[in-house]
Amino acid sequence: MFTIGQVAKKYTLSRSALIYYDTIGLLTPSGRSASNYRLYSENDLKKMDRIQLYRSAGLSLESIASLLEKENSDLNSTLENRLLTINGEIQKFRNQQKVILKILENESLERHSRVITKAIWVSMLRAAGLDDAGMENWHREFELTSPEAHQDFLESIGIDEDEIKAIRAM
Amino acid sequence: MSNEMMNKENWVLLFKEIGLDEATMIQWHKAFEARFPAGHQSFLEWLNIEENEIRHIRAL
Repeated sequence: MFTIGQVAKKYTLSRSALIYYDTIGLLTPSGRSASNYRLYSENDLKKMDRIQLYRSAGLSLESIASLLEKENSDLNSTLENRLLTINGEIQKFRNQQKVILKILENESLERHSRVITKAIWVSMLRAAGLDDAGMENWHREFELTSPEAHQDFLESIGIDEDEIKAIRAM
Repeated sequence: MSNEMMNKENWVLLFKEIGLDEATMIQWHKAFEARFPAGHQSFLEWLNIEENEIRHIRAL
């Protein structure tokens, strides 16, 4: 017979986990010592082997308990369900992976692009501490001091004709 | 981008006019470089700044 400490060590589990397994009826030790300590038999350990195998397949303690109760009757369908869940999780991770790659790709495109877009420019003016009013002020000054350069600049960041007209008339 | 009508001096005047000081402009170049290095380069070229000075500004 094995003490709870020996079993915990063998399966690298905590004592409290084993006590919990006992409480929910998943693994009840077959014996008790004279001073009422839990004692596990060889058969209990065989059961524990199966519990650990199913745990490593990601099954819940609840499904493991019902598997151990009914003996192999439900094993296939339980494992198939688990497999479906895993496949679903993998699909979810794949989608997240795609999204992340897309974000990283955009970021790197922006970093390496020599083309300055309106969005980049606006974010750079904000970085200089300009709010909307500050930007309007900047356009007005730009228009006042160098109207042609202003036009050229607005064209170069890809703003269309109508919007350019509106900005220059501010 | 290319441009005959705007240069560094006028650009700096424009920024000063709307209240940006020297320190803010240096910060601004640093941020531009960190976030859009290639865009920073083409912006500096658009201002007709010469190669050596561009290198200097981008290394701020």
